[in-house]
Amino acid sequence: MRSILILIGNELRRFANHKTGLALTFLVPIVLIYIFGSVFGVGRPGGGGPTGISLAIVSQTDAPVSAAITDALRKEKAFKVITTQKDAAGIEQPLTEAEVREMMRAGTLRFALIFPTDTQSDQLFGLKVKFLNNPRNEIETQTVTGLLQKTIYSSAPQALLTGLQKRGADYIGQENFDQFNQSISKAVAQAFGGNAEDIYKDMKNGVVNFGQSANGSLFDSLIKIESEQIGGGQVKNPMATRSVGGWAMMFLLFSLTAASTSLFEEKKAGIYQRLLSAPVDRTHILWSKYLSFVLIGLVQLTTLFVAGRFLFGIDITTNFGNLLLICLAAATACVAFGMFLAAISPTPSVATGLGTFLILTMSAVGGAWFPRSFMPEFMQHLSPFTIVYWAMEGFVQVLWANCTTRELLPTLAVLLGIAAVVNTFSVWRFKRGNIFE
Amino acid sequence: MLAIENLTKRYGSVAALQDVSLSLERGEFFGLLGPNGAGKTTLMSLVAGIRPADSGEIRLNGAPLDHRRVEQRAQLGFVPQSLALYDELSGEENLRLFGRLYGLRGALLRDRVEEGLLAAQLQERRRDKVSTYSGGMKRRLNIVAAILHRPPLLLCDEPTAGVDPQSRNAIFEFVQRLNADGMTIVYSTHYMEEATRLCSRIGIIDHGKLLALGTLDELLQQLPFAEQIRIARNEETAPHLPAFARLGELVTMEDAFVLTPDADTRLSDLFGLAEKIGLANRHFQITRPSLESVFLHLTGKTLRDA
Repeated sequence: MRSILILIGNELRRFANHKTGLALTFLVPIVLIYIFGSVFGVGRPGGGGPTGISLAIVSQTDAPVSAAITDALRKEKAFKVITTQKDAAGIEQPLTEAEVREMMRAGTLRFALIFPTDTQSDQLFGLKVKFLNNPRNEIETQTVTGLLQKTIYSSAPQALLTGLQKRGADYIGQENFDQFNQSISKAVAQAFGGNAEDIYKDMKNGVVNFGQSANGSLFDSLIKIESEQIGGGQVKNPMATRSVGGWAMMFLLFSLTAASTSLFEEKKAGIYQRLLSAPVDRTHILWSKYLSFVLIGLVQLTTLFVAGRFLFGIDITTNFGNLLLICLAAATACVAFGMFLAAISPTPSVATGLGTFLILTMSAVGGAWFPRSFMPEFMQHLSPFTIVYWAMEGFVQVLWANCTTRELLPTLAVLLGIAAVVNTFSVWRFKRGNIFE
Repeated sequence: MLAIENLTKRYGSVAALQDVSLSLERGEFFGLLGPNGAGKTTLMSLVAGIRPADSGEIRLNGAPLDHRRVEQRAQLGFVPQSLALYDELSGEENLRLFGRLYGLRGALLRDRVEEGLLAAQLQERRRDKVSTYSGGMKRRLNIVAAILHRPPLLLCDEPTAGVDPQSRNAIFEFVQRLNADGMTIVYSTHYMEEATRLCSRIGIIDHGKLLALGTLDELLQQLPFAEQIRIARNEETAPHLPAFARLGELVTMEDAFVLTPDADTRLSDLFGLAEKIGLANRHFQITRPSLESVFLHLTGKTLRDA
């Protein structure tokens, strides 16, 4: 028994001394639990679901229902409602449908609601709206569509009935219409119970509790939502397009980080002593590592997309050249990340532990696992600081929006910029450090 | 061939090499003898160009050694102490890689790789991964990988570390053949037997300082005594050590005590004392001094203790 206790003590002491092990045991799960918990609404005010999704609203009518629905949508935490944008003089101007369509084509906006001139007309009792969407993320689009329908269906009836009351009064005169409402109120009170006076007041104010019927066939026929997809219409499997890209990036980061930490193994084996005594210098070693890993990364990403083509029918051939470009830029940035880990870590186990933590966090925050809009807003703000986010943007631009090389340039520039900055730092660290000693 | 002048290297506050100077003639087999941490590897790595010296100069064939010059690097071959081989590659692939790094191509590369595999006795295992080789095979390949480009100067940093006696002998024969073929060899070791067997000239190094330099005979002549007495280490001799210590310097070794007699001590004094205490002659052995004695004399400690 004493031996067991001594050995237990030894195991615990070794575990406590192993900082990487400690981090992987506690820190990584805590961070991931927090991210997943936040996505599913644990501990978030108002529960889970998306937040801050940009929704442009263009109103081409002065119908009160337009303002009523816009107000209701502003109250939804899922949406960040945009109705204006600054003109050349810096003055806020209402958005036009043409501007919104252009923004959606450019990829800066994914959802818009248009209240056309005939949103509500004297000839027709009902409501007509147009929903423009760029469903490059299927989960997000379905969620937005559902939320939009819920908000419209719950706020439109009152606006519609208020309008109906006004039209009724205009048509038969206020006095006659009041008598009509009072008669109806008494009939309702007698048939279903309740106070006839209260029912009359509600009817006059357009307040009617339709309960379940608001989602039923009555309002389905009264509210007409025309849905139009902007961009990505030819993509066969948008969900798979995004999933393959996200998971491919995560595994690329893992494999390239592991490859970069081979620097430690080669140092331990004395390989650098032999290489540096040959006509080879440190720069040669670093560049050979970097370029070979980029090549491996490019092949890995391309292979995973080809697998996605055969498994899920992702169309990679239409814009294959640009897909290769974005894969190359993503691999370059991922290798830079791996070299950075090797440069700042004193031992391979620290590099592996830190790498696991950062890769999982970047994958989650960057949108590789679930839509960014499902995360708390502060995490959404962190996304653009991750390689995963920009790589995912690039994949969607190529495979979903079928962007040209010119349109892809900003994303490529960001990925290559990240690689350049991180690499410069890593080389500086390698030259100061003892990896080649 | 190689001239080193006032070479100094520090790692932080630790002086790894202090003002080391020596020169080597073409075709020499030079041994660098010292304990672990004496500065042997640092000296080797400075000559090999792996790290820069803080001060001092290294000249190769009369010209200052500039490791940026490919033709000068090609004059050197370096066998690192560790097995600097790619485990995932076969022996042949390793040799091809290192040969190509030195600019070998085509038929010449093929020939040199063949010769290397033959010399390392690895023809049968040429396509096997290095990870499957025995320690001795790896050591032989480690040396061969450094000489594919036929350097006139070979630096061997403890090339037999962790090798069994049989493989060690094979390595000795191999480097002796290279030396016989005209290659100048610098061979670092902490085994005095290796230095004694292989090297025509030996430098003794400790704490970054070159303490002595010369042939074995020259080094031995520096000693102020011509013989030493080994006293068996057992229960019979142990109680009388203080008495023997009065006759000279007594050092405890693993299996014996070594007495280096004072200049005025005669053998008759020793044996007179032994007779007086009643110790038989079998407990005593008169030996000629060795490199170990030189090291002991210079540093006050044995190589093993250092």
